[in-house]
Amino acid sequence: MRLTVAKHIHEIRDPVHTFVRLDSAERQVLDSRPFQRLRHIHQLALTYLVYPGATHKRFEHSLGVMELASRVFDTVTSHANVTDRVRDRLRQLDNRDELAYWRRVLRMAALCHDLGHLPFSHAAEKYLLPDGWDHERMTRELIRSDEMRAIWDGMRPPLVTEDIMKLAVGQKKAADLQFSAWESILSEIIVGDAFGVDRMDYLLRDSHHAGVAYGRFDHYRLVDTLRILALPAADRAQDSGEPALGLESGGIQSAEALMLARYFMYSQVYFHAVRRVYDIHLMDFLKEWLDGGLFSTDTQEHLRITDNEVTAAFLAAAAGDGEGDLHARRIVERKHFKLIYERNPGDVAINPDAGRVVCAGLVDKFGTENIRGDHYRQRGSAPDFPVQLRNDEVVSSLDVSETLGQLPVVSVDYVFAERSQFNDAKKWLDEHRTRIIRPQEEADGG
Amino acid sequence: MGRLKRAALLTRLMERLRENGSWCGETHVQKAAFLVQELMGIPLDLEFVLYRHGPYSFDLRDELTGLRADGLVRLEPQRSWGARLAPTEHSVYIQELYPRTLKEYEESLNFVAVELGDKGVAALERLATAFYAYRRPEAGETVERRVAWVTERKPHIPADLAITAFEDVERMVQEAGRHSARNAVATSNTP
Repeated sequence: MRLTVAKHIHEIRDPVHTFVRLDSAERQVLDSRPFQRLRHIHQLALTYLVYPGATHKRFEHSLGVMELASRVFDTVTSHANVTDRVRDRLRQLDNRDELAYWRRVLRMAALCHDLGHLPFSHAAEKYLLPDGWDHERMTRELIRSDEMRAIWDGMRPPLVTEDIMKLAVGQKKAADLQFSAWESILSEIIVGDAFGVDRMDYLLRDSHHAGVAYGRFDHYRLVDTLRILALPAADRAQDSGEPALGLESGGIQSAEALMLARYFMYSQVYFHAVRRVYDIHLMDFLKEWLDGGLFSTDTQEHLRITDNEVTAAFLAAAAGDGEGDLHARRIVERKHFKLIYERNPGDVAINPDAGRVVCAGLVDKFGTENIRGDHYRQRGSAPDFPVQLRNDEVVSSLDVSETLGQLPVVSVDYVFAERSQFNDAKKWLDEHRTRIIRPQEEADGG
Repeated sequence: MGRLKRAALLTRLMERLRENGSWCGETHVQKAAFLVQELMGIPLDLEFVLYRHGPYSFDLRDELTGLRADGLVRLEPQRSWGARLAPTEHSVYIQELYPRTLKEYEESLNFVAVELGDKGVAALERLATAFYAYRRPEAGETVERRVAWVTERKPHIPADLAITAFEDVERMVQEAGRHSARNAVATSNTP
């Protein structure tokens, strides 16, 4: 297996990474219909209604993810950065042709990782696709579509479609496919919980466009210090030595900054209450506007619909021409529901599900048409990853960073009320909240 | 299963693991929950795939983070050995909401905690991976084929230790029947 040297390098200017470079074979992916569609998918849905600068698209984010994935790959596979113990476990590290093949697979997977996003990205996709479907599954369908498969087959050497699919969506969303240790690490480079470049790019890019500083961190230092390391274990004598993505100790402050950036961006931007209620109104509009209330999972239908078509539809509906006019007006005329309840430590101490029971109580009293809830808990593990000390010992990140062990977990419960009902609903909630949040002990035999 | 009821079961499981000497890091809880669900038949509604250190549930990973958000579990960083998961006093209050459920499953939780309490990550990986293979028809019905299935997917597990792990699985499946009436699924797969 020998890679043909690409003759033409294309440079694309980027506000976060300065330049993103790709060769002529990779350029075919950029020019494909599935990828060009991302020019018309907002990265942050309707967030621009709150942060006007946040109008950037999945297109440039995907380019950024490819660029960062390449940098991480080059760092962690550099001969000087790999220990013999890891090299023994991952034979690909000693084979130049295999490394070149997998570098390209990783870049293409990074470029394609968001192909399956619905219009306006994440906005309530679980309610807008048939059961068993999500944007990752749509991404897989597009990667293996005839149009994309022809590109993979035409590369030299040809890329195996399944390899790209696995790295693009990761093990959680490709549980039906078998991952080797090497493939697990490469997919971690893109979608990993700790150092996934998807997250690195969106924090930097969203921060830049939204005009907030919270998402910035020293990603140059962080990428330079990433390593493939054998996992530490509580019982060192029995450590299985399974390799994972970790960090050289000099990068620990950059990793802390990344985790803090994530926390701040979630609490200040992604879970801004008004941004969230606009997502709800958009979902309500789409449920009425779409045939059967669902997006099609046919890839050709998927390619035909973007934010542009949806925006035109809700603007027309708000003007009285089309289904979903009530919800469309809430967006266009900025008459969104108002926040009536949010998660607070006192209520959580009584009932961790206080937000949900408050929402259910208000819906019972005022109707689902007047009350909407939004509930989210941070996903992923504690930031526990291997760190290589100066003496080459590998320890847990939580051993060397008190900050990582103390990071708050993002958890959101919002309940919103229609404006005309807000005062009555607020009064009712003030009178009944203490009673409705108290959990009931299960009955015998119940 | 409702979220609070599952929280009550998971925090009780963590308590029992710690009482039986387990380090009780995330890996330990992952493997214990896998056996609690798949061997003892307690319906935690978690999906497990073969991942790092064996069977792994991304749902459980998220659930454990949610328990930390709700103040039911906290991280206990320990020098050199990573973090332990510790149920908080507040988790007792949640457990008290489910006396019937916890009584029903107490013996099953204890059985798993006793079996896994003294095991480190590598041993847990071997045992849980062996049980994962044991339950999958495509892994074969003989020990030789199952060992080959495991070592192909987990090359760092030596074949002789994989054989021992399958012997432990056979014994556990038999003994589980005496500790839970809910292991019919597990025992029905006994060759």
